[in-house]
Amino acid sequence: MTLIETRRQAPPAVVATDLTKVYGQGDAEVHALRAVNVSFATGAFTAIMGPSGSGKSTLMHCLAGLDTATSGTVHIGDVELTGLSDRQLTLLRRERIGFIFQAFNLLPTLTAEQNIRLPLDIAARQADEVLFDRVIETVGLRDRLAHRPTELSGGQQQRVAVARALISKPQVIFADEPTGNLDSRSGAEVLSFLRASVRELGQTIVMVTHDPVAASYADRVVFLRDGELVTELAAPTPQSVLDTLVRLEA
Amino acid sequence: MLRTALAGLRAHRLRLLLTSLAIMLGVGFIAGTFVLNDTVQAGFAQRVTADAGKVGVAVLPAKAEGTIPREVLERVRALPGVTDAQGLIRASAPVLGKDGKAAGNLPTTALSIVRGPLDRTDVVSGTGPGTDDGAAVLDENTAKAQGFRIGDTITVLDPGQGRHSFRLVGLIDTGVDQMLAYTGAVGFTPAVAQRMTGAKGFAEIDVAGTVTKQAVAAATGGSYKVKTGAELADDLARAAGVETKMFTLGLLMFGVVAMMVAALVIYNTFNILVAQRTREMALLRCIGATRGQVFGSIVLESAAVGLLASVLGLLIGYGLAALTLTVLAAFDAPLPTDAGVSLTPVTIGIGLAVGLAVTVCAALLPARSATRVPPIAALRSQPEERTFRAGLVRAGFAALFLVAGLGTTGAGVFVLEPGEASLFVVMAGGALTFLAVLILGPVLVRPLSAVVGWVPRRLFGVPGRLAVDNSGRNPRRAATTTVALTIGVTLMTLITVVTASTRLTMTVKLDEQFPVDYLLAGQERDSVIPRSVAEELRGRPELASVAQIREVEATVAGKRADVGTYSGGIEPYVTAGSMKAFGAGQVALDDVTAERLGARLGDTVTMRTRHAGTVALKVVALLDGNQSSLPPVTVAEQAFESYFGAVPDSRVMVTIADGVPPERARAVVDAAAAPYPTVQVSSSTEVRGQFDETLDMMLMIITGLLGLAILISLLGIANTLSLSVHERTRESALLRALGLTRPQLRRMLSVEALILGLIGALVGVVLGVVFGWAAMRAMVDGALFTAPVAQIVLFVVLSGVAGVLAAVLPARRAARASIVGSLATG
Ligand SMILES: Nc1ncnc2c1ncn2[C@@H]1O[C@H](COP(=O)(O)OP(=O)(O)OP(=O)(O)O)[C@@H](O)[C@H]1O
Ligand SMILES: [Mg+2]
Repeated sequence: MTLIETRRQAPPAVVATDLTKVYGQGDAEVHALRAVNVSFATGAFTAIMGPSGSGKSTLMHCLAGLDTATSGTVHIGDVELTGLSDRQLTLLRRERIGFIFQAFNLLPTLTAEQNIRLPLDIAARQADEVLFDRVIETVGLRDRLAHRPTELSGGQQQRVAVARALISKPQVIFADEPTGNLDSRSGAEVLSFLRASVRELGQTIVMVTHDPVAASYADRVVFLRDGELVTELAAPTPQSVLDTLVRLEA
Repeated sequence: MLRTALAGLRAHRLRLLLTSLAIMLGVGFIAGTFVLNDTVQAGFAQRVTADAGKVGVAVLPAKAEGTIPREVLERVRALPGVTDAQGLIRASAPVLGKDGKAAGNLPTTALSIVRGPLDRTDVVSGTGPGTDDGAAVLDENTAKAQGFRIGDTITVLDPGQGRHSFRLVGLIDTGVDQMLAYTGAVGFTPAVAQRMTGAKGFAEIDVAGTVTKQAVAAATGGSYKVKTGAELADDLARAAGVETKMFTLGLLMFGVVAMMVAALVIYNTFNILVAQRTREMALLRCIGATRGQVFGSIVLESAAVGLLASVLGLLIGYGLAALTLTVLAAFDAPLPTDAGVSLTPVTIGIGLAVGLAVTVCAALLPARSATRVPPIAALRSQPEERTFRAGLVRAGFAALFLVAGLGTTGAGVFVLEPGEASLFVVMAGGALTFLAVLILGPVLVRPLSAVVGWVPRRLFGVPGRLAVDNSGRNPRRAATTTVALTIGVTLMTLITVVTASTRLTMTVKLDEQFPVDYLLAGQERDSVIPRSVAEELRGRPELASVAQIREVEATVAGKRADVGTYSGGIEPYVTAGSMKAFGAGQVALDDVTAERLGARLGDTVTMRTRHAGTVALKVVALLDGNQSSLPPVTVAEQAFESYFGAVPDSRVMVTIADGVPPERARAVVDAAAAPYPTVQVSSSTEVRGQFDETLDMMLMIITGLLGLAILISLLGIANTLSLSVHERTRESALLRALGLTRPQLRRMLSVEALILGLIGALVGVVLGVVFGWAAMRAMVDGALFTAPVAQIVLFVVLSGVAGVLAAVLPARRAARASIVGSLATG
């Protein structure tokens, strides 16, 4: 059995059912998500796209247990997020979820290596040193491990963030515009690296992005508009993504 | 620009609240002190104005101890326009308590109670003695202390120790007279007062009528002080208020310390606020604000905060003073507490000025650094971490102050003779050293936090590690925060060390100086103990030794001095010369008296005696006045007798024989002293107990007052922490996203506060112990030193705990923040 086949048979890593998120009340009521049903396959790289304000970040936050939905359910693996206490959610994030944000991913007081190991330290878990070496090798940060974030370039900082997300072997990594602040070359590096981790390590990644090129690194793209899942695209190319977006905005 | 400043204020309302609290407490304390002083002084004034109305003119002796002879009264009475003139008697007449011993530590003061318009006695219950020579009145406190009620019979001693009984007919209030409050007062008809005191004249003559001050002065001759009633009242009020003034001054010192700490807190807050608003400032500069405008807006902001806080501080001060007065009244303090509590314009002025000045001055440096923000900073995405480098200039200054401080202190301790001068030198050294620590603070913080954080780092896992890193992250900020606490802890430790060392030194000295178990002495240190007492005691097997000291006042080398002798074994503490073969024609002087008389070892001094005319004495020994219990001018026993006759003993010192229980020995001594009401027996344990009590009391009061400074510095920790928490909102959110639980986040901040608290406390303890030692050495020759370890450890622990408490609110706020919301900010 090949790696790909195993993944096909595995249950989805993340499933959202009728996910609804309403901000505010009365006149100020905003429906950020309207009964979204979506699932993310294990070992797949999925991109979430949509116009600004369509609810991408909100969806990601609800999926990752950073925010609670107004109604509907989210499953990470076999765990249902609805009704979990803050402590349970925290432990779940610690054990099963990795994060890469657009900016401010690293603690300024810690070195790159300390930042990478931070999730494991918090969880008081031993690092998988083989994995650590492999990750460091792949992201090409070996000679930067002792540096602090202020001494790293934006691209290097994001690679540290990616390494950190990978090191704890989470069930799923959520990335919110991880390349939003990078030039195209650094962005491409980070994205190739994300795709490699999916291919080689079997990592599951859900990435929010604005950029059709970035989305084309994914296995699949889902499109949001006004809080609703409108369409999706398998094996995307920059052109097909762009076409879909243009169609959506029309 | 005014609008931006006000908008800034509104935006940082909460953050400025803690800062204002620091100023509020400081101003409150200072204003409260003033209000208290004003009220008490007003109370004194109120009481004496009533008296002043009765007295037209008063005649007083030129010297405090002097009296006015009767013929002066007659001359004044004969003046035209005098409707009444009364001489007042005021001299000792010991009242005996129910145990047959003279009441109190000092003989009671007897007063003559005159009748008519010049009667100034404040009878609070019963009546005055009127014309009844068998009646007497007592002051309330003495009556209460001795358990006398109206209708009881009281016994009073006349100058010849004769006992006289009186019927107690009333109780009086001694008013503002602090002396009477101390000795207690007994009042008789003028004739009886004269008889009971043997007074040779009047202590004061009061005159009523239309006669002028000048006329009375002319009639009395130039040798008396003549005052109008109003002047007399003023003087009385002022004399009564002197102690209150001293007390006020003492309190104000603590107020100054509190304000100093508050200034540090404000300085820090504004520094942080400016750092956090770098982008805002830069944006203002981008759109055309000048440096001056940026500076002005911050200064304006601080002025608004200072003003508001000072106004609130004044209210707090008013409340504090009112509360203190209520408490004082409840405890029957000998102070007038009934005058209306009022905020005088002066208090308001001082309170506002101090609060405003301290706030604005503390904000000046931060405001200046705000003007240094380049407009380009507006474009940087993330405010860079302010790195701190220990510059050469800083190191140079620190070294300079440190060397100067330690050098000065060393000079005070090792070079100068112990005394006031050397204490001031040590204090100056302490101030310089403190400045060095202030300058070095930012350099010290990181290593110290590594040391202090060693345990938490290992104990608290990731939160602990992050906390230790965070505590050293902004050294300048951390240093200012901790120094505020250091001030309080330093002073606290210093006081503790000084009291403990004083206690130890005094105990040892008491043992040396008071190598006796019991001391018999008169109330006034005069020679009143019949020699038979000592002789009787010498015959008792319960006692090991009995020594006697006799003293009279005589003229030695042209100056008045206490001349005395001793018999029995007393260590004289000879510093020069020798007292071997001490006999007639020889004298031993204590060092202070020798200096006063200008006599050196081997010199001959003359002394006027009662029975042997003027004699010449050779100085054969100098004594250590601090240690020796001999009279300042000591001659041999036989010689003394031939000079002054058979003078009774002034002091008898007794030691217990080995193996005799103290209670039995005490009973023997008490029995021997019983027939002589004015002879008081004190034991070394009693003296030590009183001394201990005084020290404990002092320590407690000072600690309480320093508590304010510490409280303010804790506000500073809370403030710094909440500002840092605010700054690190996104960081906290990131940590939470990565799986740090809420309790862990709270713990992280608590540990950070713990470390700040401990650093502040440790530096304070080191400074406090060193300067406590130095102060001790500077004050007392041969002082012993002890540092009460348990208490000092307690300070450190409490500082840590207090730090953690200060972190409770900021930590809660940080833990409560929503992750998603926090990630979005910035
Ligand atoms: N805290 C909030 N309170 C009220 N409304 C909110 C809040 N957060 C988001 N919204 C609204 O919810 C909707 C979805 O926001 P969301 O941030 O998920 O959009 P997005 O797709 O991530 O947009 P962008 O591409 O600009 O990041 C928007 O209309 C937004 O205004
Ligand atoms: Mg978004």
